Amino acid sequence: MSEPISQYAHPEVLVSTEWLAQHLNDPGQRIVESNEDVLLYDTGHVPGAVHIDWRADLQDPVVRDYISPEAFAELMKKNGISPDTTVIFYGDKSNWWACYALWAFRLFGHTKVKIVDGGRDKWIKEGRALTKEKPKYPPANYPVPAKRLDDEIRAFYEETRAHFEAKKPLIDVRSPGEYRGEITHMPEYPQEGVLRGGHIPGAKSVPWKTACNDDATFKSPSELRKIYAEGVGLKKDDDIIAYCRIGERSSHTWFVLTYLLGYPQVRNYDGSWTEWGNKVRAPIERG
Amino acid sequence: MSKRCVEPPDDTTPSSYPKPLASIIGLFESLPEEEKRENLIAYAEQAKKHEPKPGETFDLEDVRKDEECTDTVGVFMKVDPDRQAHFRITLGPQVQTLTKAMTSILCKGLDGSTLDEILDLPGDFVPRIVGGNLVRIRSQTVYYILTRMKSACRVFLNRLRAAGA
Repeated sequence: MSEPISQYAHPEVLVSTEWLAQHLNDPGQRIVESNEDVLLYDTGHVPGAVHIDWRADLQDPVVRDYISPEAFAELMKKNGISPDTTVIFYGDKSNWWACYALWAFRLFGHTKVKIVDGGRDKWIKEGRALTKEKPKYPPANYPVPAKRLDDEIRAFYEETRAHFEAKKPLIDVRSPGEYRGEITHMPEYPQEGVLRGGHIPGAKSVPWKTACNDDATFKSPSELRKIYAEGVGLKKDDDIIAYCRIGERSSHTWFVLTYLLGYPQVRNYDGSWTEWGNKVRAPIERG
Repeated sequence: MSKRCVEPPDDTTPSSYPKPLASIIGLFESLPEEEKRENLIAYAEQAKKHEPKPGETFDLEDVRKDEECTDTVGVFMKVDPDRQAHFRITLGPQVQTLTKAMTSILCKGLDGSTLDEILDLPGDFVPRIVGGNLVRIRSQTVYYILTRMKSACRVFLNRLRAAGA
């Protein structure tokens, strides 16, 4: 028998596809699809879901950074999301971008967030309803957040460097080949402009996928504890930084560590390898 | 019901692109953003129509999954005596929607082009069709199908040269 979901540290952040199908029209919630495939939402989505594009909606169009609090408030208003709205994320690629969007929402202090376990692939595999109809919601009032929580759940290069020098836990969630420096691209993806291969010295390799089952759902609480607590040796009060190439796969691991296992101090280094691997004189370890 | 691709007009301005492709480029450039997306989806949904049909034979078949591509892509090329090419393409299920759209566009837009025309084709038309906003990190595979078609042309010409040597 499968382990109860209540064994996760914060089981309230996960909903199943079955639950979602029965609660599509619940008041006080907004379903958000976030994908890597830029046109996937347009081909059909969960009825009532809005689309939030990780690049066009969440990132600054010029500087490599996230949007301003003012732009976030405007995005929320446009999608009918107020601070009290529960936002339920799902997407392609085992929820990489759904977790990324959730993490970005948390950067702006939005706390009512959930993930659909298994994401878009599971929803479709189960033959559930899709629509091309793009919903329109009345604009909501969303006060401009006082600040972005960059200090709490986001790590920058300097902080990550200080972290490795202090020998604090760093989790590299990329594929083993990327970690070892054998390849400078993700398997099945083109090169994305990285000049050097390898990993941050001292970082432990735990590919994001180890936290997932084949159907894109998250592994059970005990399986996750085995991977991160027993396997990597993470302790409850550790200060942890996760990274990948551009911060989306590490958002997935950030979600697992923060919400499913309850580690209180986890940050996502979104500059990740596309910053570290290009930085002059940044120390790199191979193998 | 899926949207039907808008047919490009026949009298599009001449350009360095093969005429059918130039017409498609002209059409997309005239569309507002939302309609551009709708047409890309319509083209993507027609990608299966460009798979090989039963009984068809080809002069070159190249089915492979490159390490840097999400899924298997098969390129099937038939070449007329006057070296005009006709393509069929198979795509694995994990291929992105934009890549599916570009498959339909290229199969249609390059049909009947000569091997040299295809090899000389610059990739700068892609953002003109897709729009600059959609050509970005994690959607670069939109160029992949053109690369594979050119590769097929190159292999075919090399074989001809080798046979004539």
